[in-house]
Amino acid sequence: MERILDKGNLGDWIAALDGWEVFVPLLQDDVWGYRPLHLATGELRLDHPNTTQPPKGFAFPQREVFFTFEQIKGEVPRLTPLLPKSRQRVVFGVRPCDGRSLPRMDRVFTEQFDDAYYRARRKLLAYVGLACNEPPSRNCFCRSVGGSPVSSDGLDILMTDLGNRYLVVAVTATGEALMEKGGALLTEPSGVDHSEAGRLRLEALDHPQRTVHEEASIPARLKASFASPLWEELARPCIGCGICTFLCPTCHCFDINDEVATTSPLKGSRVRTWDTCQFPDFTMHSSGHNPRGEVGARLRQRVCHKFQYFHENFGVFQCTGCGRCVTGCPVGIDIIAVVNQVTSAATFPNTGEG
Amino acid sequence: MINPQDLRTRARDLLTTGEVRAVIGYRHGSRGMAAEPVVITHPDEAMSLVWDPSCLHNLALYLVEDRKRLARRQQKPEKPIAIVAKGCDTRAIVVLMQENYFKREDVYILGVSCEGTGVLDDRKLYYHPIGINPDRLERVAFDGDNFVLTTTEGEQRLSAREILADRCLECRNPFPKMNNVVLGEENARTFTAPFAALTRFEQTNKTQAAHWAFWQNQFARCIRCFACRSVCPMCYCEECIVDSITFSVMPDTTAEEKANRVRWIERSASPADNIGYHMTRALHLAGRCIDCGECERVCPVHIPLRLLNTKLEREARERFGYEPGASIEVASLMSSFRDDDPNDFIR
Repeated sequence: MERILDKGNLGDWIAALDGWEVFVPLLQDDVWGYRPLHLATGELRLDHPNTTQPPKGFAFPQREVFFTFEQIKGEVPRLTPLLPKSRQRVVFGVRPCDGRSLPRMDRVFTEQFDDAYYRARRKLLAYVGLACNEPPSRNCFCRSVGGSPVSSDGLDILMTDLGNRYLVVAVTATGEALMEKGGALLTEPSGVDHSEAGRLRLEALDHPQRTVHEEASIPARLKASFASPLWEELARPCIGCGICTFLCPTCHCFDINDEVATTSPLKGSRVRTWDTCQFPDFTMHSSGHNPRGEVGARLRQRVCHKFQYFHENFGVFQCTGCGRCVTGCPVGIDIIAVVNQVTSAATFPNTGEG
Repeated sequence: MINPQDLRTRARDLLTTGEVRAVIGYRHGSRGMAAEPVVITHPDEAMSLVWDPSCLHNLALYLVEDRKRLARRQQKPEKPIAIVAKGCDTRAIVVLMQENYFKREDVYILGVSCEGTGVLDDRKLYYHPIGINPDRLERVAFDGDNFVLTTTEGEQRLSAREILADRCLECRNPFPKMNNVVLGEENARTFTAPFAALTRFEQTNKTQAAHWAFWQNQFARCIRCFACRSVCPMCYCEECIVDSITFSVMPDTTAEEKANRVRWIERSASPADNIGYHMTRALHLAGRCIDCGECERVCPVHIPLRLLNTKLEREARERFGYEPGASIEVASLMSSFRDDDPNDFIR
């Protein structure tokens, strides 16, 4: 299904989405993020750069309570499971890189192990994407990791900005249902609309971007570089914060803790929180030994997970090229430059594919 | 005006003669305008060093990292390490020396004067009348009272005062007084009154209730990436209050002991835990923070952390006449007592 929506009618279409909780990109306190619709003031426009945080948290929130527990002396401990009770949620203005992160998260949380908490949120979640006519950031590199600024992968709807109107294309049945709620606001595209969209699409695919080189041989080259001294050298400025991973649309490591509210009687909840391989204590053993005690080992883990281990497990790069870790790093550690430097220095068997 | 070539020559000579084992400085990175920290050990690498208004970082952090790194490897430093340091950075080094983190002779300070300006706050470019997208910025250079910005669209010359970081506008001591060698002139200057950002905040938020509402809103969006802690040269504790890495699990550790291990602040980015973390950090920096502003700069969700730290800095100044990082000869505020210290708050 393909339709045209006048920009002035975007708000009316969103208002017609009864039964859906709507999130839109807003600038609040100097930070771009997907916020509940009711916080929006003035006419709604989708002219945002990419948001500071990706929409990852809608399916995989930073804090998820699994269950509460209570122990009364002499009794069997009481556990109360808590599955998230979410309404149907739709996020507007998702960029194609963040759209592509969703199928990757699905593979982690639903393929080998079915994570009930993730699934409960995920099945009620829809993404309305916005194609990037121009790269929103200088550190965008979606095209060199298998993506594209017009990709609809992981989205339910893909919108393209045609100046005073959007071309709205349904990708999934959920997307079609959302579009049908718009009724007469969404009209049949004309030949002019199609040719304009086609032109913008070609332009979008032609905009220069940064690139990771030798895409096909990256996993093998990284595998050959495990012991490279470059890891430690390139990681030297790393301060060990969680910006790169917490702003990443596909990082999914977590920690589970019991948060004790009272000790007598023992009451509390078991909670999952985001964790990151970049924190020095992430791999700390209770013996005091830390297998990733130096920054180089931690940078290697982050890069190789994105570009080697995930590829070995699932056949695709985990990284979607949004560039947030590059732009957000306080000390300029640049995953594009790291991949390129390490892989080009790799002593790599010439198998004809590189 | 400082010629970066002089800095490179100094650094190269220090490494060539073997007077220092490494130089901590700035170079241009691969991902945009801002310079990035670099540790060089070979004289040839000195040619990559830069000095411009994008040299935002307080490199004193890497003196701490260097110490920790040596300790992990059970090595002792045989020679000093050199560091390119602005006025604020040298005050951080003074605090670290007051606290015996290292000695004066362990560090060779290559001082750089901010010469009446300071470093850029690229967020201000968005709000500047001419509206520059910092993402399009390629380079920024000093030019007297101006900064020259090179964007993808060409060159712009802007008054530094309009786009300087707040901490630089408020800075009283932009000259690195403690140094082994210093580049640039000592310029007297006044941009704003001390604690201007804090004063503005207090004028808009007059009551305690307003303060509380403000901070609850700010801390609610903290994602607990701990960049503010990680970037701070004063946050050198091996174990921070938010970590629990020294808790040992033995074969006979009971489930109850595990559940009841001391965790002052949970890992959850919940409003209460976020406030616990930030308030604890602010108090641990009282009388130590030299207002390099790094915590505020690196925050991905733009929490105005300087307001907390400068509030405590002002308390130390007004009540105890103490200025952090002013002199290595003075005992630190928290480790000293004078008979005339105010004590009217003890009830």
